[in-house]
Amino acid sequence: MLNPSQQQAVDFDGRHLLIIAGPGTGKTHTLTHRIARLASGLSGDKAVLAITFTNKAAGELQERLASLNVSGENLTAGTFHRFCLQVLRDHCARAGLSKDFRVAAPEEIRPLLAARWPELTQSKLNARLSEISRWKACEAIGEEPGTDVREYDAVLSGAGLLDYDDLLWRVWRLWQEQPEVLAGYQRRYAHIFVDEYQDINPLQHALLVALVTDANGITAIGDPNQGIYSFRGADVAYFERFAEDFPGAGCLNLAENYRSSAELLSASTQVIEKFNRFGVPPLTARIYQEGRLLIHTLPTAAAEAEYVAHQIEKLIGGASMFSQDSGRVASHEDQQVSFGDIAVLFRLNSQQHALRKALDRMGFPCHAAQPATGDEEDELCPAAPANIAPAAEKISLLTLHASKGLEFPVVFMVGCEERLLPLRLEGLPADPQEERRLFYVGMTRAKRQLYLLGARKRSIFGQSYRCEPSRYLNDIADHLKSLEDPPPPKRRKAEQQINLFG
Amino acid sequence: MKFYADVHLHSYYSRATSKNLNLEYLNLWGQFKGIQVIGTGDFTHPAWFTELETKLEPAEPGLFRLKKEFRDATCDELPPACAMDIRFMLTVEISNIYKRLDKVRKVHNCVFAPSFEAAARIRDRLGAIGNIRSDGRPILGLDSRDLLEIVLESDPLSYLIPAHIWTPWFSALGSKGGFDRMEDCFGDLTPHVFACETGLSSDPPMNWRLSQLDPYVLVSNGDAHSPSKLGREATVYDTELSYPAIYRALKDHTTDPGLKGTVEFFPDEGKYHYDGHRNCRTRLHPRETTAHNGLCPVCGKPVTVGVLARVEELADHPEGRKSPNWRPYHSLVPLAEIIAETQGVGPNSKRVQNIYRKLLAEVGNELFILLDCPLERVQKAGGALLAEAIRRMRAGDIHIASGYDGEFGTIKIFSPEEKQSILAAEQLTLF
Repeated sequence: MLNPSQQQAVDFDGRHLLIIAGPGTGKTHTLTHRIARLASGLSGDKAVLAITFTNKAAGELQERLASLNVSGENLTAGTFHRFCLQVLRDHCARAGLSKDFRVAAPEEIRPLLAARWPELTQSKLNARLSEISRWKACEAIGEEPGTDVREYDAVLSGAGLLDYDDLLWRVWRLWQEQPEVLAGYQRRYAHIFVDEYQDINPLQHALLVALVTDANGITAIGDPNQGIYSFRGADVAYFERFAEDFPGAGCLNLAENYRSSAELLSASTQVIEKFNRFGVPPLTARIYQEGRLLIHTLPTAAAEAEYVAHQIEKLIGGASMFSQDSGRVASHEDQQVSFGDIAVLFRLNSQQHALRKALDRMGFPCHAAQPATGDEEDELCPAAPANIAPAAEKISLLTLHASKGLEFPVVFMVGCEERLLPLRLEGLPADPQEERRLFYVGMTRAKRQLYLLGARKRSIFGQSYRCEPSRYLNDIADHLKSLEDPPPPKRRKAEQQINLFG
Repeated sequence: MKFYADVHLHSYYSRATSKNLNLEYLNLWGQFKGIQVIGTGDFTHPAWFTELETKLEPAEPGLFRLKKEFRDATCDELPPACAMDIRFMLTVEISNIYKRLDKVRKVHNCVFAPSFEAAARIRDRLGAIGNIRSDGRPILGLDSRDLLEIVLESDPLSYLIPAHIWTPWFSALGSKGGFDRMEDCFGDLTPHVFACETGLSSDPPMNWRLSQLDPYVLVSNGDAHSPSKLGREATVYDTELSYPAIYRALKDHTTDPGLKGTVEFFPDEGKYHYDGHRNCRTRLHPRETTAHNGLCPVCGKPVTVGVLARVEELADHPEGRKSPNWRPYHSLVPLAEIIAETQGVGPNSKRVQNIYRKLLAEVGNELFILLDCPLERVQKAGGALLAEAIRRMRAGDIHIASGYDGEFGTIKIFSPEEKQSILAAEQLTLF
């Protein structure tokens, strides 16, 4: 089933198309059907290329397409990294690489560079490595590398390694130096699809521009209001430039939201309106259920974590006979929430500690997600151990970055304070507009219930701060906010009372 | 040999349990109560697992005894009349909270392992998918069916019994968190489940009203959160004292006569027998609930539906039907509560405790006193009122205000006048 605007995007007949798809508007669904339409009927030597943001997304896409009878040979799906790795494997001699070249994860590279630059402290080394990575993604085209980059590259090539950025960079160079290789790909791919277009960086952009010719086409889909990777060189401005880059391009909007309740959608729209520089039209709620936005400030980060744990216990309807019998949760509360329905989102990984502690004390299963890489790059390195996914439901603890693309019935956003959202900490440069988009990404993960929590006092990286509520909270109309339940009962007291019966 | 087993209980590593819920006190209270086979509980908890490895030694196959140096720690408290060789069995209860068939399910399951190796395999697999360190009874987002698979893969003799299957919030058939059919809970692995635990709020006749429970043998356990609650309910075996023999008595219950029956709470005394709201102090018989359209007359919200109503909802036979695999059972009132009734003081009072210990010393363990001891002997050691109380309990001739929404039922054996006249008669015989 496609709604009219989704159908229009699927059926669009021009060569190039930009689809603006806000959160929960059926982006993947639409993309899948458009790919299926354009891939069907291709002869054996033609294919479509679908660039996804993660390899997991690529896998899901392939599955969905298989069910729409799009066969594997007409479809290449993967991240930029995986696609480029394949290009290099297919042309390693021409790319000047040995047959058994290896891709190394940052964890493998860091010690090599630590040995090369012993004078750097851990944090200085990390800063230099991210700067090198950013340089490769943003400025390597048309610029000569500086000393740091040259030294870095020497260490890697000495060890026979490529890093992730090199994969893209090497393909770019290969295509520049040997146009017949590029021409082969241009002929093969009748159409190129790019998901999460707001998060592409200059090097990725250059690869796309190179690949698209007069004879094939490109469909890009994404949401400029959700661009959150500028620190890795991504630039939402490519949205504005799309029609210049790909002349004659059409632009369509998907504006019907099938995820969040109307209240939550209004609130997140109010927050993003102040950024919305691309004039993305507001989303319309198509889910008719009651939503709840709760804003609450607690004295400390520890109290905030306790509050989260206590609310989760209430949502689950009590996780133990004890919580039922002690009256800690009202026994007639309706409860259709399980652990997998809940996410706790935060700006910095260091906020996780207090949360884990509080959830652990309750005995709640939770899993801490890694900071977002945006790409399951582990899969590129055979050295990295396979991560076997457990079958059990858990509460998701995620950075706001890592939450992108996910949805949960219940979302807790903690640390809704000035200094964390927007992030303003020394040594951590952050773009206030991007912080607003990040806040928006977090809010739009929630389907039914959204808690925006903060603390009055918090210590960050060992430094203690008094905190003011995040400015973004002021942008939400008061009638949408429900401000607090009665405070949770004191735990210790409840436990003592129960022990009298035990 | 004949023995009683209570294998669903907890250690002090579980939430809201007593601090002295350790092996030494369990070993002691097993003898007080007459429970010879006791579950360790909580074996997935790493610290408790280590404690079990340190303090237990192998006895019969799959069973363990407390090492002598630890048995000695409590031997001063033990009257010789109660002395018994206690055995431990490796057990754990898991709280499974997950979504299945579009609803949140909360099911408690008891898991049994024949060896430390098998227990460690279960512990390690569960540890990889959830938090087993915070609570002796871990809360996992794991489907009951998948838990069963992990259990079955750990050892051919490992098994799972769905716990207190009628409890509204946390059980396989519970009104709030459960399923309507066992098959929905355990899926393709349902044939590997061969027993069900009745829980405090239901007794065997209630369970016999469901054809779907016919394939299962009913067991009872006390789910103790403190040593003194051990053996509130128990299962009676007459077979070889070993884990494999217990396993066979359960699994092959249609052919193996090893499982003799159960001792039970009066179901009315259980916390979820009737419907109601504890906070509103509304206690409703299912008939009254229906009359109120399922809503609490005080607050107007839906009442917590108790076990009686839930059984009625799922039953396909009228009262009085017997399951083809039925076993006899006895309904008991804990001895301390009976003493409390005769003395007119609380069951935890010093006076009751003193009389309790004196009786154990003079007569023997609690189950013997409650079930088997000739009443003359009880009367000699504890007086006429106590003997009469036990007679009435054995005859089922007692009054209970049913439990509801987490509130235990309350027991009344005598009216004040009855009590007076029995005491007066006793005075006459003494002088």
